[in-house]
Amino acid sequence: MRATPLKDRHAAAKARFVDFFGWEMPVQYAGILAETSCVRGHVGLFDLCHMGRLVLTGPDREALVDRVFSGRFQTLKHGRAKYGFLLNEDGYPIDDVLVYRDTEAVHIVINATGRGKDPDWVNAQKGDLDATVTDVSDDQAMIALQGPGSEHVLQALCGADLSQVRYYGFTTAPVCGHETLLARTGYTGEDGFELFFDKAHAVEVWDALLDSGRSLEIQPIGLGARDILRLEAGMPLYGQEINPEIDPVEADLSFGVDFTKDHTVGVPALRARKEAGPKRVAVSLAAQGGRVARAGCPIVTESGEASGVVTSGGVSPTLGKNIARALVRAEDRDAGTLYAEIRGKQHPMEIVPSPFYKRPR
Amino acid sequence: MSDRPTELKYSTTHEWVRIEGDEATVGITDFAVEHLGDLVFVDLPDVGASIDVDETGAEVESVKAVGEVHSPVGGEVTAVNEGLADDQGPLASDPFGEGWLYKLKVSDVSDALMDLDAYETQLESESV
Repeated sequence: MRATPLKDRHAAAKARFVDFFGWEMPVQYAGILAETSCVRGHVGLFDLCHMGRLVLTGPDREALVDRVFSGRFQTLKHGRAKYGFLLNEDGYPIDDVLVYRDTEAVHIVINATGRGKDPDWVNAQKGDLDATVTDVSDDQAMIALQGPGSEHVLQALCGADLSQVRYYGFTTAPVCGHETLLARTGYTGEDGFELFFDKAHAVEVWDALLDSGRSLEIQPIGLGARDILRLEAGMPLYGQEINPEIDPVEADLSFGVDFTKDHTVGVPALRARKEAGPKRVAVSLAAQGGRVARAGCPIVTESGEASGVVTSGGVSPTLGKNIARALVRAEDRDAGTLYAEIRGKQHPMEIVPSPFYKRPR
Repeated sequence: MSDRPTELKYSTTHEWVRIEGDEATVGITDFAVEHLGDLVFVDLPDVGASIDVDETGAEVESVKAVGEVHSPVGGEVTAVNEGLADDQGPLASDPFGEGWLYKLKVSDVSDALMDLDAYETQLESESV
């Protein structure tokens, strides 16, 4: 199994580890519930070194991004980030990504599971474009600071005025004296930052952030809480909400696609399916306690007809409910109540608005 | 070192059973509870239901995962610890007492049960 430069820090903090697609990652430290509320109420620190980072350079780098990235890129300003997909020819996602448009380069953050395939796929779309795709995943550290106290904790270590960095904006500035790309992005639904820097400094920056956040009761956060935080915030996990068989229209993620981009791989095919109307749709489900409908759990209608399947499910400490995203038949989207089938019994779940959680602003 | 009762029998999958005459009480060990983490629900069998050895007798939901209780004994369920559905506290505070899951009239006993010494030897090899 592969490990990040911060593994010893996690072990010292008594983390419980899990095999996350070949990476030995912390799933929890203090406990999933405590960590979730720490991020919602204070601030938490995440080791994301396992995720993939690509840097595109060369004169045609932006044309290449526009060819492979489903979102509207041409109008994206320098210093801004955007969410979208790498689609295959059939309009199904190969990965979901964040694209950061810098003046001299474009940075793309991909999933850990995309590291083996995304760089080759992007290169294969180059054709006659003059651009270079560099996989910096093994050279860079990636750490996220998430929660309402994030700006305060990071500002103490950072040479830039963070109040000038807007949501989905980024800049380059020293953190602990080391050049860092810092972006006001994240995967929790809270305010926060994601930091990209030379991995030689990973332990130093990690320790400094924990130290800076001590008065705000900062904690390291494992993948268990991260999964709940992103599910509460309505954010998809590649492989579950979207995968090579579930497209962004079905998953209710059309905001990540510019359907007018005929020159982007997969967009025409996806547009055709959108116009025909998807046969399956994603819904948010909630129940008060009881059994927890987890990924793979069948969803049926009141009369017991098969409707679909849970793509992600868990316990939401923020809402005090059990929550799930499910992909169901389009005709059931207004059913009001659907049923999770667990151990031969049907457990009612209410269809609720998405996302489950929005932070107060 | 441990407060685990010596009179119980233990399974490799961290259930315990107390057999008194033809009645058995089934629960899960402190190790299982600790491993599951934050508990949120316990799905118990119906009184009167018949459970075979190694069949899923109950399921314990935690934030992280669902834990299946592989029944160390078979028989007809005579009582369940209904309060656990609303309050899982006893599972963490007193897993071998107030945290019991169900009782049954024994008709069959797993032949793979261990005494406490053997169970704790297994735990030593499992713990990280």
